[in-house]
Amino acid sequence: MASAADPAADQNPRDAEPRKPTNEVEAEAEVAEEYEEDDYEEEDEEDEQPDGPAASAAEREKIRAVFQRLSSEQVGIRVHDVVIKGNSKTRDELIEAEVLDLLRAAPTIQDLLRAASVATARLRQLDVFDAVKITLDAGPPELPGTTNVVIEVVEAANPVTGTAGVYSKPEARSWSLEGSLKFKNLFGYGDIWDASGAYGWDQTTEVGVGVSLPRFKSIPTPLMARASLSSQDWLKFSSYKERLLGLSFGLLSTVNHDLSYNLTWRMLTDPSRAASKSIRRQLGHNLLSALKYTYKIDERDSYLRPTKGYAFQSSSQVGGLWDSKGLKFFRQEFDVRGAVPLGFFNSALNVGLGAGVILPLARGFMNSSSPVPDRFYLGGHSSPVCSLSGLSSLLGFRTRGVGPTEPRRLVPSESDGDSSATPGRDYLGGDLAVSAFADLSFDLPLKLFRDAGIHGHAFLTAGNLVKLSEGEYKKFSFPEFRSTFRSTAGVGIILPTKLFRVEVNYCYILKQAEHDSGKTGIQFSFSSPM
Amino acid sequence: MASATAAEAAATEWEAARKVLVARKPCFGLPTACPTCLPVYVYLRMAQVPFDIHVDTSFPDADHIPYVEFGDCVAFNNEKGGVIECLKEDKILNLNSNHPSASSPDVLSTKAMVSTWLADALQYELWVVSDDSIAHDIYFSDLSWPIGKILHWKKARDVKQLLGITKLNAAEREEEIYQRASVAYDALSLRLGDQTYLFDNSPTDVDALFLGHALFVLNALPDTSVLRGTLQKHDNLVNFAEHHKAQLLESSSSGLGSSSDPSMLSTPRKKASAGRRSAMVNWEQPRAVLSSAGRSRVGYKPKPRAKKERTEEEKTFRRRAKYFLATQLVAVLVFLSLLGGVDSSELEDDDGIDYED
Repeated sequence: MASAADPAADQNPRDAEPRKPTNEVEAEAEVAEEYEEDDYEEEDEEDEQPDGPAASAAEREKIRAVFQRLSSEQVGIRVHDVVIKGNSKTRDELIEAEVLDLLRAAPTIQDLLRAASVATARLRQLDVFDAVKITLDAGPPELPGTTNVVIEVVEAANPVTGTAGVYSKPEARSWSLEGSLKFKNLFGYGDIWDASGAYGWDQTTEVGVGVSLPRFKSIPTPLMARASLSSQDWLKFSSYKERLLGLSFGLLSTVNHDLSYNLTWRMLTDPSRAASKSIRRQLGHNLLSALKYTYKIDERDSYLRPTKGYAFQSSSQVGGLWDSKGLKFFRQEFDVRGAVPLGFFNSALNVGLGAGVILPLARGFMNSSSPVPDRFYLGGHSSPVCSLSGLSSLLGFRTRGVGPTEPRRLVPSESDGDSSATPGRDYLGGDLAVSAFADLSFDLPLKLFRDAGIHGHAFLTAGNLVKLSEGEYKKFSFPEFRSTFRSTAGVGIILPTKLFRVEVNYCYILKQAEHDSGKTGIQFSFSSPM
Repeated sequence: MASATAAEAAATEWEAARKVLVARKPCFGLPTACPTCLPVYVYLRMAQVPFDIHVDTSFPDADHIPYVEFGDCVAFNNEKGGVIECLKEDKILNLNSNHPSASSPDVLSTKAMVSTWLADALQYELWVVSDDSIAHDIYFSDLSWPIGKILHWKKARDVKQLLGITKLNAAEREEEIYQRASVAYDALSLRLGDQTYLFDNSPTDVDALFLGHALFVLNALPDTSVLRGTLQKHDNLVNFAEHHKAQLLESSSSGLGSSSDPSMLSTPRKKASAGRRSAMVNWEQPRAVLSSAGRSRVGYKPKPRAKKERTEEEKTFRRRAKYFLATQLVAVLVFLSLLGGVDSSELEDDDGIDYED
């Protein structure tokens, strides 16, 4: 018996055959021996007679014959039985569902070997086994041309794993310190339970528990469910604090498509009692019941420093599915990126364009307002090049530092009436947002920097936000929208380290509106290293 | 004086701007059905101040509602003892100023009695005794069902805690609460006599507070309610409430500016008469100005005040410190990355050699 557990050698059986390790060849020999007709048994018996060198010579001859046969033609085979061993906890159905069709469909030995390696990879991907081994065994002697496939799995000895690290989630606008505990395969369905807590740089905290199932009955894609409690503090920017208690279900998750349903109880409060009028009107409890669909293509060659390729992401969200009292809105975001290599100094030009709109859907929606946390905000130091949700970043401006604002509550202060600081303004976000960037990245002349991956970049970013709800869409005009675009330009150095990806940029504000908080100067930004 | 300047600024805003009262929704034939918001509404009406109403439907457990906006300034319920007290203190609006004996112990103690004993009885009736439909109609009808249920349960539990009701002393506490309410009604009835207002025929804030309470008890609580029965024993109190209600509704229907709810007058009483009413509770009753009153919430200091005290020097210092730390961190990271980069490239070469073998 031999194992076909080495996927590398199976990449291309035909070409790889001359270099196959000997035990592979033995497998084929064994299998091919099934083909020998009735007097195989007798031959075998004869061979077993203690005649050492002659026997081994005969073996070698047989092996060479089989070898020749396999390399010259397709040798048909049929999988008779699939035997699963080693799974004390894991259900057979799970393993069978992953690999059975694949194995049974293979008509020839070569295909079967290929299928076996794919099956091994799939089972490994379930992330609940320590080791997976697929063996092709001789089928029952009365049925020639068949084989039994034996799948041996070694279940994870320690079902609990813990991780902690610094990550950057695509939805979050900054990095966060996250720790999680995972329980693998508690019920034998390949289920992975995890409990996690995260603390973010922007005072975001989150705790949650979740479960993910690779397949549930006949649904082929993995299912995920997660319950989480999180809080975000926007007091400094928009005078409110947000607390979310939510359930989220991942219904469909493939490479390109992602569909999820969220049911969240959202609470907006203002402990500082300094909010502006629009924010005050939005404080309170809300039930957000939304379906979100994301379509993503990413053909760029690298995530951190794309030099070639393109990427596209479209994300649509419809809220208000629970009952008529919840938040009803439709939110759509597009994001397009492209990268073109330029040849000299390993440089590349990255360009990107993002646009988003949110519309309230309730009756009388022309005059109602969109929910504040779901609106679009521009600003922040995160790099627009890497992540696909770059609609929100506008280098040079503070987080949420762009867009419509409203003065906060005026408290006639106890100290001097005039010299007290003005109460500040709340950034309300916009219903329509457009942002674009162009980024030229190049290697630095020193070899030391090149080896460490440190490179420089020059960039130009622009963006604009406008309010459309509550009847403001009547005042909207494209020429004015175009003329009020904010823009910045700058240069910077990017240092990819093991823990973070650090960017040091010098930004120069080319154009900003009256109440935007943009600052010309040096800025740091951190993102995940990936 | 600094506070005079502040008060002047506030008064200027008050005069100049349109006033908006943000309160809970109207119900049971009342302009706003929440027992915390109703006294403020009545007070503003009595002072003949024109104002608009904005209905808040999404924050039933808010401390700060009702509040009055005038220009960029706001008087919240959970600051300085309530909206009425806040307006008084900022010298913007004071019904008692025309009253000769405004700060007499009589007025203050009556105010204390109405704000504590009667308010407690009302809370008890709304949240503990009756079933859920009254509170649901007032506070939770515009929220999604799961949220409404959870908030309702939370509030009922909080009220029980506040009133000190446990399983063991439930009956005694109930008796005590009703007994105090009854005594209070007797005293008020005596005080009122045949007059139009409680004190010397001119309106005070105590009138507004009591009127808010009485209107609610008479209109929203069910016929089987003990509190309502006790109040209805005193004819002069009932007439007081009816008379002023007629006046308020009459003046509001003549267009004194309630903007957002035309259905205020015709609100279905039928909703409440299904026989299942829960007692109404003041979420946070504007407590009387007696700052030593145990349950007052005056002590909260908003955060911006602390931040304003930072001087310019401190700000510059902090900024510089941040830059310094950031530079240090970046230097360390660069060092690590360069060092790390060199090491890993050596390792890769070794791997390559092994692989080819």
